[in-house]
Amino acid sequence: MIANTIGFQTLVKREMVRTFAIINQVIWPPVIQTLLYVFVFGLALGSRIQSVQGVSYAQFLIPGLIMLQVIDQTYSESSSSVFQGRFMNSIQELLIAPLSATEIVLGYVVAGAVRAIFIALLITVLGIVFVHTAPTNWVLYLLTIVLVSVLFSALGIVFGLLAEKFDHIAVMTTFFITPLVFVGGVFTSTQFLPPLVQTISLFNPMFYMIDAFRRSYIAAGDVPLWLSFTVVGGLAIISLAVALRMMATGYKLRT
Amino acid sequence: MSTPALHINGLVKRYGDFTAVDGISLDVQQGEFFGLLGPNGAGKTTTINAIVGLAHITSGSIALFGLDVVRDWRAARLRVGLAPQEYNFDRYLNIRDVLIYQAGYYGLRGPAVAKRADLLLERFDLASKAKQPYTKLSGGMKRRLTLARALIHEPPLVILDEPTAGVDVELRLELWSLLRELNTNGTTIILTTHYLEEAEELCDRIGIIQSGKLVALEKTRQLVGDGSLQDVFLELTRR
Repeated sequence: MIANTIGFQTLVKREMVRTFAIINQVIWPPVIQTLLYVFVFGLALGSRIQSVQGVSYAQFLIPGLIMLQVIDQTYSESSSSVFQGRFMNSIQELLIAPLSATEIVLGYVVAGAVRAIFIALLITVLGIVFVHTAPTNWVLYLLTIVLVSVLFSALGIVFGLLAEKFDHIAVMTTFFITPLVFVGGVFTSTQFLPPLVQTISLFNPMFYMIDAFRRSYIAAGDVPLWLSFTVVGGLAIISLAVALRMMATGYKLRT
Repeated sequence: MSTPALHINGLVKRYGDFTAVDGISLDVQQGEFFGLLGPNGAGKTTTINAIVGLAHITSGSIALFGLDVVRDWRAARLRVGLAPQEYNFDRYLNIRDVLIYQAGYYGLRGPAVAKRADLLLERFDLASKAKQPYTKLSGGMKRRLTLARALIHEPPLVILDEPTAGVDVELRLELWSLLRELNTNGTTIILTTHYLEEAEELCDRIGIIQSGKLVALEKTRQLVGDGSLQDVFLELTRR
């Protein structure tokens, strides 16, 4: 699958260089935003809520906030990196090199997963320091982040290739990702919602991602873990397949 | 005779109803300095893009050192370096890393690559700017960096798409000297240019494309004859 290992590793490294070159855009915003959410919603307003799923509201909030940032940053960075490469034509360096479509796509996806784990760990530290909560199941913690970051990195590649201008990339974030994440269980358990909304939530893929990830902190969730992994894994496979297909055909890359 | 560096057989490239390249066939021998000329929109860049894999081939075939660019794409791409007309460097890397990372994409790394990058920066008079981003370079320096990047994986064939476009006379002469040196050392060079005197000065052989068709393919001396390349070019490309 990966014949040009050095080429693939170079692309992953390049993506990490990019991440740290724009650290104020990629790494610090999720950290600062999370701090604000924790202080305003978790500690100030949350102190009025007795408990959710057996833990304090602030402790309930942390895994949801990690997933929110993982999803947001993974999609944003992968889509903007691909689009910027097209816009500046620097992606040509990859296209003329002996790199296959699989190597290029996996390069972006693996970099996205590494970035996601790094951001998640930073926020996890904030959770330990300020809210005194930490994951109890690290395997589930890492597995969910990897699955979700594969899904959104691949989706980022797809939209980075589809977009004609930067504005198009934001469409996905503004109209789909952010609203679905916010109503997907970041701030509240679906058990608190009216029955009709609970049913509607089952059609929101973000709900399964957040619910699965929260289980790595609190050994409880709203739906069975196998169902969450089936939904997230299925979507990740579909996104990856579409990204690979577009890269292999050279969609908007090769004339 | 050795395998040609480039063998194009009946290359056709269509975009919908528009035929950009219409049945071009030509060989470029190893060690040759070949000029590909033609007016704007004649099909030069499309042909180059088809060679390096940036354009899908509608029909026909292209081989680099006997390796089909579609079937044996990975091996073929290792043998060619492209210096495009535009400055499409990675903006997040300093210029030394532009070379190192480019080598990485070609599957190369380690001390030998670092040494080659330093040698190229020295040779192209860019060593003092090694840690700077490309945006800090002058136009001439960017042009030299384009060439250095195309050479980092030591390809036996280098394609230069208008390497002297927009540069002053002094730099142009300097680039000519670099290209001659490169060719003398055994690298096959394919050059596209709008400067006819450049092609006349540098190229062993010239192909002229007009409306996607190859309308001339001869040794430079034979093509020019007693006249000038400009006269021949205008005659062949008159619409």
